[in-house]
Amino acid sequence: MSPSPIDTHSFEALQANAGADFVVTLVAAFAEEAPRLMVELRRAAAAADAERFETLAHTLKSNGVAFGATRLAEAARRLEWQGPSAGVAAIADLAAELDTALAALQTLARRE
Amino acid sequence: MSVQPTALVFGHIELRLAERQLLVHGEPVALGSRGFDLLKALVGKRDRVVGKDELLDEVWPGLVVEENNLQVQISGLRRVLGARAISTVAGLGYRFTLAPGTVEPPRLPGVPPQPAAAQAKARVLVADDNRVNRLLLCRSLELMGHQVSSADNGRQALELLRRQPFELLLLDLAMPELDGFGLLQVRADDAELREVAVIVTSALGGVAPVARCIELGADDFLHKPVDPWLLKARVESSLARKQHRDLQSEALRRLTPGGPAEPSRLADACVLVARLHEPQRSQQTPTDLMELLNSWGTLMFDAIEGRAGEVAQFNGDGLLALFAEPRAAAQAGRDMLELVELFNGQRHAEGQAAIALGIGIARGELIAGSAATARRAAYACVGAPVLSAEQLALACARGGHGLLMDALTRSGLPADMGAAVVNLSPEWVAYRSIQGRA
Repeated sequence: MSPSPIDTHSFEALQANAGADFVVTLVAAFAEEAPRLMVELRRAAAAADAERFETLAHTLKSNGVAFGATRLAEAARRLEWQGPSAGVAAIADLAAELDTALAALQTLARRE
Repeated sequence: MSVQPTALVFGHIELRLAERQLLVHGEPVALGSRGFDLLKALVGKRDRVVGKDELLDEVWPGLVVEENNLQVQISGLRRVLGARAISTVAGLGYRFTLAPGTVEPPRLPGVPPQPAAAQAKARVLVADDNRVNRLLLCRSLELMGHQVSSADNGRQALELLRRQPFELLLLDLAMPELDGFGLLQVRADDAELREVAVIVTSALGGVAPVARCIELGADDFLHKPVDPWLLKARVESSLARKQHRDLQSEALRRLTPGGPAEPSRLADACVLVARLHEPQRSQQTPTDLMELLNSWGTLMFDAIEGRAGEVAQFNGDGLLALFAEPRAAAQAGRDMLELVELFNGQRHAEGQAAIALGIGIARGELIAGSAATARRAAYACVGAPVLSAEQLALACARGGHGLLMDALTRSGLPADMGAAVVNLSPEWVAYRSIQGRA
């Protein structure tokens, strides 16, 4: 069984530090921003632009860490490490983790 | 019926008149009876400069007391309240400068004192093209009490920096239009932008980007994701360093009418160099030593500013001050020695070792102005009298506590100040303000 997409301790710490209402706004911003980052990541892979690809993967990783989205952060970390040669399947895995994380985050944020 | 307030609040301090008690940041502070009376007098007359004679009459009624006792008490209050709480107005007296708060209502038994007002807000700009990072950084800074603006690319950040005053910039590197490196490069070539402290927050890995940012003048670097506790510590540290730089710049602005960026030739100035002789010998711990240097520095600044001098350089156990004419420099030197004597008396009573001070005064032409690189600026004083004053101050180490001046300074003193002059060499003379002290 795969681990939970969100580390609830990290997410609760974020809510405690930044405020639960603010985290709702933050999750909504991530839901808007992340698909654009994925499009740019695919574009960087196609262009073999290693620097841009690694920066985008790192951004998704750091956003994932900020929300406690551990599986998303791990998938992004792998891509950051592998670079544009990671392949279409690895990028598709990241996209799937992103969708799962976003759904879980929106549920958790609304629970407060 | 009007009721006299029993507690006066000024920012971080509270003066409880009935209990004769001072609280700083909500904590009681031990203050001697004279110190309390002096503070009360200054607070009561805070709408004006209070003359030294008036304060002496009020704090030591019916007694003939030397003025230096007042300076020691003022210095003690500044150590407790902060250096800016009481300003010295050269030749006139002192003024209490803290803005009044409201009179605190009576406190209920068992209710602890509230913490003092939060640290002053800083104006911070966050430049980051990632919306989540930007929102999170802005939120963290707002919760720290700062006033936050944001930009989503380097060009927009630059426009904001040129339009509005900011104390701190949190700068992402990989941004559209103008990236963080580009903005740092623009800042490095712009004196006004260099006044804004910069912390780089970046997802770029490795040491190379960090090194490049530091080379371009960034104050600090944080890797993303940014830990909120680390962010708080780095922001406070950067703002504290900036505040320190601003205070130095302000002192330089006062010193040089044309501003610190404009070098000036001072055709006939007196340079006073004061140096403590090995102060670490008399201290047990680094904290003790720093406390000693704080106290010593406060007293010396008082003596110099009280004689219309300006401290141009201060490095902990030594300082360099400039005076327009020899008499003021010699009077300040004498005051400094006498203050250290009083200070040593206080230390002796507390079982602490005495400190020894060497002062050199030399007169002549010098060049003063800002010497700066992209990362650091200092007020430079260059010329023969600077070297002579430094040598004279060091020479005092051989003879112990005292003051040496060059012959040109001596020639500018009135006859009544020459009674205790001892010739050491054809060029140097020693001035002893306290009889019988070697």
